[in-house]
Amino acid sequence: MTTPTWILQASGLNKQYGPGCPRCHQFTGPTHNNSQCPVCNTVYACVDAGFTLHQGEVLGIVGESGSGKSTLLQMVNLATAADRGHIWYREPRTPDAEPVDLLQMDAYRSRHFRNDRLGIVYQRPELGLNMRFTVGGNVAEKLLLANWRHVGNIRARIRELMEQTELPPERIDDDPHTFSGGMLQRVQIAKALSSSPSLLLLDEVTSGLDLSVQARVLDLIRRIQWEQQMTMLLVSHDLGVIKQLARRTIVMKNGHIVESGLTDQILEDPQHPYTQLLVSSAL
Amino acid sequence: MSTTPEQLYNFGFIDEDSKREVRRQILKAIALPGHQVPFASRDLPIARGWGTGGLQITMAIIDAGDVLKVIDQGDDESVNAVNLRRLLQRTTGVTTTVDTTAASIIQTRHRIPEEPMRRDQILVLQVPMVDPLRWVEPNLERATVMHGESDYGRMWVYMYESVVKAGDLRIATQYPVIVAGRYMMDTTPIPRWDVMRLHNAEALFLFGAGREKRIYAVPPYTTIEPLQFEDFRFKTEFVAGQICARCGAQDTFLTSHFVVDPTNPAGGYWRTSCSDTSFCDKRVLVNTTNQEAPQ
Repeated sequence: MTTPTWILQASGLNKQYGPGCPRCHQFTGPTHNNSQCPVCNTVYACVDAGFTLHQGEVLGIVGESGSGKSTLLQMVNLATAADRGHIWYREPRTPDAEPVDLLQMDAYRSRHFRNDRLGIVYQRPELGLNMRFTVGGNVAEKLLLANWRHVGNIRARIRELMEQTELPPERIDDDPHTFSGGMLQRVQIAKALSSSPSLLLLDEVTSGLDLSVQARVLDLIRRIQWEQQMTMLLVSHDLGVIKQLARRTIVMKNGHIVESGLTDQILEDPQHPYTQLLVSSAL
Repeated sequence: MSTTPEQLYNFGFIDEDSKREVRRQILKAIALPGHQVPFASRDLPIARGWGTGGLQITMAIIDAGDVLKVIDQGDDESVNAVNLRRLLQRTTGVTTTVDTTAASIIQTRHRIPEEPMRRDQILVLQVPMVDPLRWVEPNLERATVMHGESDYGRMWVYMYESVVKAGDLRIATQYPVIVAGRYMMDTTPIPRWDVMRLHNAEALFLFGAGREKRIYAVPPYTTIEPLQFEDFRFKTEFVAGQICARCGAQDTFLTSHFVVDPTNPAGGYWRTSCSDTSFCDKRVLVNTTNQEAPQ
């Protein structure tokens, strides 16, 4: 059996909002149950975070609101600039090539990288979709950025993606606001998949949906992961979602990673007091 | 000898320092074809939105030896054209003309003259809306970043939506183009007829927006690519069978206007004629004298 190749390796990622002061470390972090310094009001959204993501793997990030999990995801998405750290990326199509540090790329290259190699699905569809464009137009955006210039081919690809994400292809020209919440999540997934990304980022994709719709969206994500061996980074505060999708999980609190390991291990034998509290609350 | 009111002003109305600043921005715009260069738009004796951008460019580059032509919608005699020409003529004393071939600087709104322009000529266009991304990104700061990163995906979606909703590319004026393979540019409200006349042209095209305080340029021999799809191509306006009622032209941009019947105020008819009136006049003259038509 061959060892799976890592495609993403993050280390020492830091993000703070504010200037910081010499006394910040005395008041912030999981031990102080606080991520904001009471002296200088600096918020430590992410402190010295790191993880490795292997090809075809789903890594879950779990934590309470404000724990820094979405900040971490947005740093990987290159939408939020990290203050320090590295995100090494190894292209799965050319595993022998040298890894590149995504945080060292200029704005132009990082935008192209985001469009070609990353796909993201947000909790709120209006963040991921332009509600003024049709559903087809939204899905087409990444294709057009990748220089697809034949409307017929673009529409054929959109229909294919809509079928793949269990959306009725005949509604290709409908406005997004005529779609339900669950359907909009599937439109976002179709858009994210349109460029055949190496890495799919999922930010609280099932929050706010009712249970039956949640189950269908999760089934869809699981099927895509299985069929395409898609590498995913999944952020959720719902341990049930993490349990269903993620093989490994990292637990965040007050901007720090407090525990990481196999999802089963974390759920059955949590080590950190916060993880124990999280698991016992879910049960 | 008495001093006329016009002689109390500097040559070209605005002061020399202001002209120099405008010229610096013009040079920058020429160096970066299609890139919008901010400039400090001055107050002029006409309201912003009535051609002050083009006027400031003309005032900054005009010389006593220049021959000036001012047109509005292709017409030399419209109110806007007459007023701008009068202001420039009185404050510079330059010779004015209606003949495109005789002019060294042509200030225009909405049209490029029909006669091909030469390398010793400059066309100054008055621009109402500068940024093509305004349709898809109302935030100016974000649109600037999008230009900087050539992030034109959303504009392409706009074109795609145009095809989906109307069955074809339905942008009448302000057609977006890519200049020299880099910046997306608004072609001002010139009709699609004129868009490809910017492509690899011999003359220098300067675009000025006084209200939005931006200058941009298309230098000579610069490539212009309209946004189009492989299966939905860019087309110019053309109605088969329409001809100019005055000169009989079929190869010019035509406009139509309603002619009221003097004997019956409720009656009348639509008449088409060349938008470029001076070119039309030339052809009429040639037709009447039975000479060869100008090319």
